[in-house]
Amino acid sequence: MANEIGTVVIVGGGTAGWLSAAYLAARRPDLAITLVEAPDVPPIGVGEGTWPTMRDTLRTIGISEAEFLAACDASFKQGSRFDGWHSGSAGSYLHPFTPPVQGDMRQLLQAWATADDDGFAQAMTAQAAVCDANLAPRQRGMPDYAGAVNYGYHLDAGKFAQLLKRHATARLGVTHISDHVRGATVSAEGLVTSVELRDAGSLRGDFFLDCSGMRSLIVGERLQTGWIDRSDISFNDRALAVQVKTCADSPIASQTVGTAHPAGWLWDIALPTRRGIGCVYSSRFTGDEEALGILQDYVAEKVPGADASNLAPRKLEFATGYRERFWQGNCLAVGLSAGFIEPLEASAIVLVELSLRALADNFPASRAALGAHASRFNTLFRYRWERIVDFLKLHYVLSDRQEPYWLAHRDPETMPASLQEQLLLWRDQPPSTWDFPQIDEIFSAASQQYVLYGMGFPVPSSHRATDLTGARARLAEVRERGRNLVAALPTNRVYFDALSQAAAGRPQEGEIA
Amino acid sequence: MANHQLLTREDHQELRIRIEPDAARGDGEMAAYIVPAEFRRVQSEFPIVFRRNQADDSFGALALFGFENGENLFLDGNVWHARYRPLSLAVQPFLIGPPVEEGSDGQVHVDLDHARISQTGEGMRVFDEDGGTTPYLEQIAGMLGELHAGHTDARGFFAALERHGLLEPFTLEVPLSNGSKQSLVGFHIIAEERLQSLDGDALGELHAAGYLLPIFMALASLSHFSTLVERKDASLKDV
Repeated sequence: MANEIGTVVIVGGGTAGWLSAAYLAARRPDLAITLVEAPDVPPIGVGEGTWPTMRDTLRTIGISEAEFLAACDASFKQGSRFDGWHSGSAGSYLHPFTPPVQGDMRQLLQAWATADDDGFAQAMTAQAAVCDANLAPRQRGMPDYAGAVNYGYHLDAGKFAQLLKRHATARLGVTHISDHVRGATVSAEGLVTSVELRDAGSLRGDFFLDCSGMRSLIVGERLQTGWIDRSDISFNDRALAVQVKTCADSPIASQTVGTAHPAGWLWDIALPTRRGIGCVYSSRFTGDEEALGILQDYVAEKVPGADASNLAPRKLEFATGYRERFWQGNCLAVGLSAGFIEPLEASAIVLVELSLRALADNFPASRAALGAHASRFNTLFRYRWERIVDFLKLHYVLSDRQEPYWLAHRDPETMPASLQEQLLLWRDQPPSTWDFPQIDEIFSAASQQYVLYGMGFPVPSSHRATDLTGARARLAEVRERGRNLVAALPTNRVYFDALSQAAAGRPQEGEIA
Repeated sequence: MANHQLLTREDHQELRIRIEPDAARGDGEMAAYIVPAEFRRVQSEFPIVFRRNQADDSFGALALFGFENGENLFLDGNVWHARYRPLSLAVQPFLIGPPVEEGSDGQVHVDLDHARISQTGEGMRVFDEDGGTTPYLEQIAGMLGELHAGHTDARGFFAALERHGLLEPFTLEVPLSNGSKQSLVGFHIIAEERLQSLDGDALGELHAAGYLLPIFMALASLSHFSTLVERKDASLKDV
């Protein structure tokens, strides 16, 4: 049977659009892919944290790690640290990317709770020691995308989109059109037949990816696929974002730092030459002026040498929720057009990657099968978004903070029933794959454990006197591995300084050596 | 040039060692000195041969990596293609210095001019942030101790080999697949026929001293000459 779907049109550039173009072109070189992007619309460009999945994505696309790191001013991200979430004082916990040491979690918890003064993450994975010392997850001599511990990246989102664009157009054969999309033409059967461009007229395609950002030009505005609002659960709807230059020899943190404030939290992402800092807040609980004050205070306290009184932050407003249907007919929403929940666990880019993997693995060959593909995709991704909403909410509901914002987060009225049910179960048993049975669960039981026990949730009691010798030996192994890693790994600063020196010594592309 | 210093946490807290195998950092050698105590581990990978030291006429044992000076057929970039690394390589740039006072233990010294000394902040730490030893240094100290004991032991071992006439000169000439010939001269190996003809008393004496095992290990290791030849042939094809 002839393949009925051979041309793909991607509406919108930015991280979602160019990642889609590059990934799909690499996985399906038989498709003719065109990306239309408006010439003068700046990308939002604050999605600056990735998950470890990005290593596999980049390898699939065919970009070397050294090229990626240099082109995007990237650094390594080994997880997230949460400061002040429990009580508002100095308390802190880590959610690292490497899962806890293998073993019976109930026994490990007992061994930890009865013996250790360390945090849960510090006891359960050697990665905590690596993060605490600002170390890189790998040595430069290791093969691309390999590490001693699990890691993703912090990056400059604007430069990332540029790299993907160069790679997709120059090496993967993606066609780039710079034009404004005015609208879409939909057939009687409900399929998009073309998008209408301001200058170039009609652009036909068999399949369309809507990467137009929050506006959701086709899937939202044209196809009206519905919106599930989650602002009743997740209150944050504003952010003030700045970039602050750092001193040449300043340490580069190994994780995103999220610091709680009275009506939200601040992100802090360290790149080799700058820090991206943002104040996320809920307009229902605080004003822009207060948020700016919180941002200034943070910069003054945490960034040596920065002029905190002279910040010019960008203000972002966002709706919290996602599409009822991400895929309709022959059009799929990828990126912010599919939905958005606050950036607390950097779920935006990973959802793009997961959407693309699902699409490439199941790319429709015939029009007749479109409905079946759409229905399956929508069921799976609705589940994923629900899990994200629950997991982000988990960060708030275990807090002891007393401000109205935090109290409102703990009001059962604002908590999904699924989360309430889980919390009830977790009093008796630790999070496990029984709670998260899907393949590719977006937040595994390990992630839930890091947040739950990082926030001081009580350890379930054991039913009888259990022998903890084995569990204690596991925890001793973690400490020993931590000592080894801390001795072997360079600091992030040393790694990136050496990387840029090595790059400076190499001839540039096109230059004659 | 060498710049040996006593290793102390005060002077060397930030010291880092480039531990990756690398020709430019001391691994580009055709052989490494080994002690009888490690023959068992060496014989699973490399031929064991002996060489007479011109200066004092004593014998030493070597693990063989190649056929000519500077040729290490087990090294490929930063990859060491063997499961074992002889102690004398693995401990670099550390060495045992003389004890501070008579009868006490030797001290760990470091050669600060060695190519393994890191200049960049990359590499393995010797002391941690708090001045404690790292697992790496503990491992090095263990290996230095083993080497030191091995050297002490080796004197009796070589004396016994000579006393029983168990070393014989050895020349190897190997035709390679490209038509050239590879030869190896100036080494000794265990004299197998002589070993076979030793009487019970002599064997009992060697066994009681713990020398019989390393003697047979050295003998068994000679099968790795074919490994060496295969690697040499493969390296010629790569070019």
